[in-house]
Amino acid sequence: MGDSLAVRQVLEHTKLAQGPEVLLEKTNAKARAALEALAARDHNGEVLTAVRHFPAREAQWAEFSEWVNADLCAAYGAKGIARLYSHQAAAAEAVHAKKNIVIVTPTASGKTLCYNLPVLHQVLENPDTRALYLFPTKALAQDQLAELHDLNTRLENRFGVFTYDGDTPGDARRAIRERGHIVLTNPDMLHTGILPHHTKWTRLFENLKYIVIDELHTYRGVFGSHLCNVLRRLQRIAKFYGSTPQFICCSATIANPGELASRLIENKVEVLSANGAPAGEKTFVFYNPPVVNKALGIRRSYINESARVAQEFLKHEMQTMVFSNSRLQTEVLLTYLQRANSQQPGQPESIRGYRGGYLPNERREIERGIRDGKIRGIVSTSALELGIDVGSLDSVVMAGYPGTIAATWQRAGRAGRRSGSSCAVMVASSSPLDQYIVRNPDYFFGNTPEHAYIQPDNLEILLNHLKCAAFELPIEATEKMGEADLPELLPKLADAGYLHRAGDFYHWTQEAYPADTVSLRSVTSDNFIIVDITGEPRVIGEVDFPSALTFLHEKAIYLHGGQQYHVEHMDFKERKAYVKEVDSDYYTDAVKYTQVRVLEGANSERISPGGENLWHVRTHGDVLVRSQVVGFKKIKFFTHENIGDGKLELPENEMHTTAYWMTLERGLVESLPFSVSERQSGMFGLLHAMASVATLLLMCDGRDLGTAIGERPPAAGSGESEFAPVRYEEMASGKMKEFFEPNLYLYDAYPGGIGFSEPLFRAHDLLIEKTRELIAGCECEDGCPSCVGPAGDLVPRAKEAALAILGRVCA
Amino acid sequence: MSTSDKFARLSALKPVRSAAPLAEPSNEPMQGDEVTQLLGGLCQKTKYGQHLTIRNWYSSPEFSEPAPAALDLLTRNKDETLSRKTRAALENPERWLFLDTETTGLAGGTGTYAFLTGIAWWDAGGLQVEQFFMRDFTEEHSVLCELAARIAERPVLVTYNGKTFDWPLLESRFTMTRRIPAPKLAAHLDLLHPARALWKLRLGSVRLTDLERQVLDAERLGWRREDDVASALIPQFYFDYLRGGSAAPLAGVVRHNQMDLRGLAALFGKINTLLSTEVLAETDGRDLFGLSRFLHRRGESPKAEKICVKALEAGLPAEHRQQASRDLALMAKRRGDHAAAAELWKSLLQGNQSAIEACEQLAIYFERREKNIELAAEYVQLGLAKLRSGGQRLRDPFAEARILRRENSLLRRLARLEQRLATSRPQLQPERSTAATAGRLL
Repeated sequence: MGDSLAVRQVLEHTKLAQGPEVLLEKTNAKARAALEALAARDHNGEVLTAVRHFPAREAQWAEFSEWVNADLCAAYGAKGIARLYSHQAAAAEAVHAKKNIVIVTPTASGKTLCYNLPVLHQVLENPDTRALYLFPTKALAQDQLAELHDLNTRLENRFGVFTYDGDTPGDARRAIRERGHIVLTNPDMLHTGILPHHTKWTRLFENLKYIVIDELHTYRGVFGSHLCNVLRRLQRIAKFYGSTPQFICCSATIANPGELASRLIENKVEVLSANGAPAGEKTFVFYNPPVVNKALGIRRSYINESARVAQEFLKHEMQTMVFSNSRLQTEVLLTYLQRANSQQPGQPESIRGYRGGYLPNERREIERGIRDGKIRGIVSTSALELGIDVGSLDSVVMAGYPGTIAATWQRAGRAGRRSGSSCAVMVASSSPLDQYIVRNPDYFFGNTPEHAYIQPDNLEILLNHLKCAAFELPIEATEKMGEADLPELLPKLADAGYLHRAGDFYHWTQEAYPADTVSLRSVTSDNFIIVDITGEPRVIGEVDFPSALTFLHEKAIYLHGGQQYHVEHMDFKERKAYVKEVDSDYYTDAVKYTQVRVLEGANSERISPGGENLWHVRTHGDVLVRSQVVGFKKIKFFTHENIGDGKLELPENEMHTTAYWMTLERGLVESLPFSVSERQSGMFGLLHAMASVATLLLMCDGRDLGTAIGERPPAAGSGESEFAPVRYEEMASGKMKEFFEPNLYLYDAYPGGIGFSEPLFRAHDLLIEKTRELIAGCECEDGCPSCVGPAGDLVPRAKEAALAILGRVCA
Repeated sequence: MSTSDKFARLSALKPVRSAAPLAEPSNEPMQGDEVTQLLGGLCQKTKYGQHLTIRNWYSSPEFSEPAPAALDLLTRNKDETLSRKTRAALENPERWLFLDTETTGLAGGTGTYAFLTGIAWWDAGGLQVEQFFMRDFTEEHSVLCELAARIAERPVLVTYNGKTFDWPLLESRFTMTRRIPAPKLAAHLDLLHPARALWKLRLGSVRLTDLERQVLDAERLGWRREDDVASALIPQFYFDYLRGGSAAPLAGVVRHNQMDLRGLAALFGKINTLLSTEVLAETDGRDLFGLSRFLHRRGESPKAEKICVKALEAGLPAEHRQQASRDLALMAKRRGDHAAAAELWKSLLQGNQSAIEACEQLAIYFERREKNIELAAEYVQLGLAKLRSGGQRLRDPFAEARILRRENSLLRRLARLEQRLATSRPQLQPERSTAATAGRLL
């Protein structure tokens, strides 16, 4: 076969497990031509850092069990489903055996049948049966509704299925409550719309047999901790009406689906992870934009590169979906691609955008256009990442790493859903995460290390849900809610005026409706409101308290929906920030002091991997974080020049949270052959990189973890005298007071902690190992934003120093 | 971390109010007997425990025999006709029960309690009022048990906003007991909707207290609400009392609830008379127009038309005058007096409310009745001109969509008229300056 030089290069470079013939045989001509064109750009093998081929997979079949309702079998048969995939049959059996289950499957493996089959069977056998389906977004519920309607038509409308969300018209609600066998909703609506009005849902709660939680992996961190409490409330109400629902969960591939599911529902869960669905062959490519300035580690814009890659596929007549990580980028990519593929006269636009904010009808029209192939290219935000059915596409291009391995596979799954050959390309941005992923493809393609964690007993979250629970049903003094110590908490809520004890029960004693003030997407309800006063004052958003101090201080440039706003006035007492639209060529960066005090270590281990008396310690526990924004810098866009400073007087913010930290003992620090400032700057760079890797392992956002460095206190809990503030610039440039035994902290950036610290403590070895890979694998000379931080902030040998520290802490 | 530290900064535990309680908490929790005495009630024992019942009889308002005509208007509903059973219950005033609750909030939902439930019925020519008070949440089941028994005896409920608020709340409370079923109502008359239709034009607000003063002539009845408690404070009075504060403000709440029940019964009397007498005492044009619209909506066109004319004679503010003319035009058209309707539409051409509708109606009139296609087309042109000149850019997408629909319907009509014109007189110039048209027609 006549392999082109370019493809040969690619294949050699990426050391593909299978030979080049396999790839070329199996990838059809169009895809091959497009891949060749991509490879042609890769002159020295630095651009395509991975090309992985996934062969087609045969379906594993199973028959419908004999217990399945005959009409239901017939309805599925009429849809062309005469047999089941093995995992669908296994799921149906497990549900039939009354087990709680979590099904772990990739995109497009027919997972909805896994729950629809057993639920509908039960509904047909016993029309009193009720089921509640929870989806993280309204759009997903809509999509499922269409699927269920189709089945219902074939079953002569023998069951009622409705979505119930903020868009449901008032006059339809009563019918849904009475006649909905299956109600599709989202956690927020359950929290504010259904549970506080459970008396209107008597029919549902008295007969609630199944709760389906789709996209389980999205319920992690804050959102997951809230959901766990919403489910506690739901189960409490169900119990009140005498029902004990069974849970059916579906998750994308993560490392701990069973653990996550059983923590969320607080019960035993069986994990079903075998997948019997067929898959078409697929080529997955990692694309790292070429370096244009090696010293500063600057690469070509990944947005432009993504557009180019997409254009390559479009040129080869492959239907292509482009994912971006923000609305703004969606618009940029869309403009680029529409220009490159100008509309033919009389033909509909062949390149379309898709994102939240489009009207439902427009969305449906676009979804249809994708399915019937009239739309050749589609640029989307994460809106199309989750299971909305748009049929299969030939290729997917991701502009930037989607943040988690699970999300990346879900997006990639949009290409070649059923059969045929397809391509997925991930174009990396220069963020540390993206760079780590493209340079360490095995991390991505191996067994996923991504864990989802929740902390439902975070006091702030728990107390808010206790209020909601008391509103819904008086809480008995002896009641249990997870691990929470209710006999301690309920009197506190009573003292604060929220509850009143009458007999054995605590009752709600407030006029207000507690669920209204509790958002499932943030920890506290103490938020700042952003008011745009450019014209008629209007509220444009809400920001939680700690972020407000950083982003909404006076004279800050605040970005919202792609528009820049200048903060005119911050009303601290009323929790409001007044902003005006501006068009400036700079952004602002708050100058912040952070100090961490250890309150109590929960677990600790002293380690000396190489012997030689070079010790370091890993610990996790409770800390007090104090931070204060003392000023800000104005930074010019593109050039990142500092063009001015300002001082600010804002109150100090203090929070109790949990942290993981690594202590470098004196012997280790002194063994480093660097000057004091180089060492200090190196520690800072190391922490910067560790934070990046930690967000990978925890599937969390960069804002969820805070970083700080401080001197190790003489003994845990008594370090008041060493409680010195640390300022970012001083630390980075190594100018501060010398640390003899520094603690490198990664703390949960939410009051009370959100469950990251203990897992980080456990993953300590993995964390430092991956951090070393990140820094060592980076091509920059003296540091760049992708590894230890921008070179300009650090002293020259900081990167070296960071690697030297890692050399002494890694086994 | 230490326990006190752990709780110190939680925003979820931020005290509810920084201000002192409305009532000073006393050191001694109030004894049940004291509350009983203070509120002037009796301790009532039921199957589910006990609660406080407060009974009073009032000579005013006097009994008002429900008139069949008024009942018919109050219960008329497009979608359903009343069953014979319902009608029988409605026509028997001994089965009536006025009801009003005082609650721990207005938000609704399962965490809102009705801590004081007042009911009343006509008795001995006056009004018997009974109020059930729960001295703590533990007494709720007892209250509901008693209430269920009373409603079973008198299953026709009369309320003010009770269809939306009081009754769903009570139904929810019954459901929450899991043992006392919510009593079945034979009928439910909510007087808020008729009151709004009848008096909103004149009064703006139709809170019961406003109606008492301005419609029911509270002065004459000798009713005073000078020391009335503000509704907004009521939940807090109860919470303060529960936490050991004084029960004294609750005596005011009990009085407030009594007044509301008496006002409600008096309001029924007023509406009853208004809807059943031929000779009206009303002199305010706005009240007459409100009544006319109320009747019009219920299909009582002849009476509505008569009262509407009276309202115009009595004098109406400009905006209502146009509405009244429009109503009259529609009613005239409905009974086939197209010429009278056309005159009324013409009077509306200069106005700012119904001018476009008037153009459309006149176009229909000239097309169908006068067979003057040309003039009909000109009225459509005028309507379009008005629609477009009034085109201050609306931000409201619904309003924009409405205007668009209207424009499309006018354009379709115009196209059809012009086609008819073209076939009859092919030489006609379809383009005509709208300014000239407007000049000719106005």
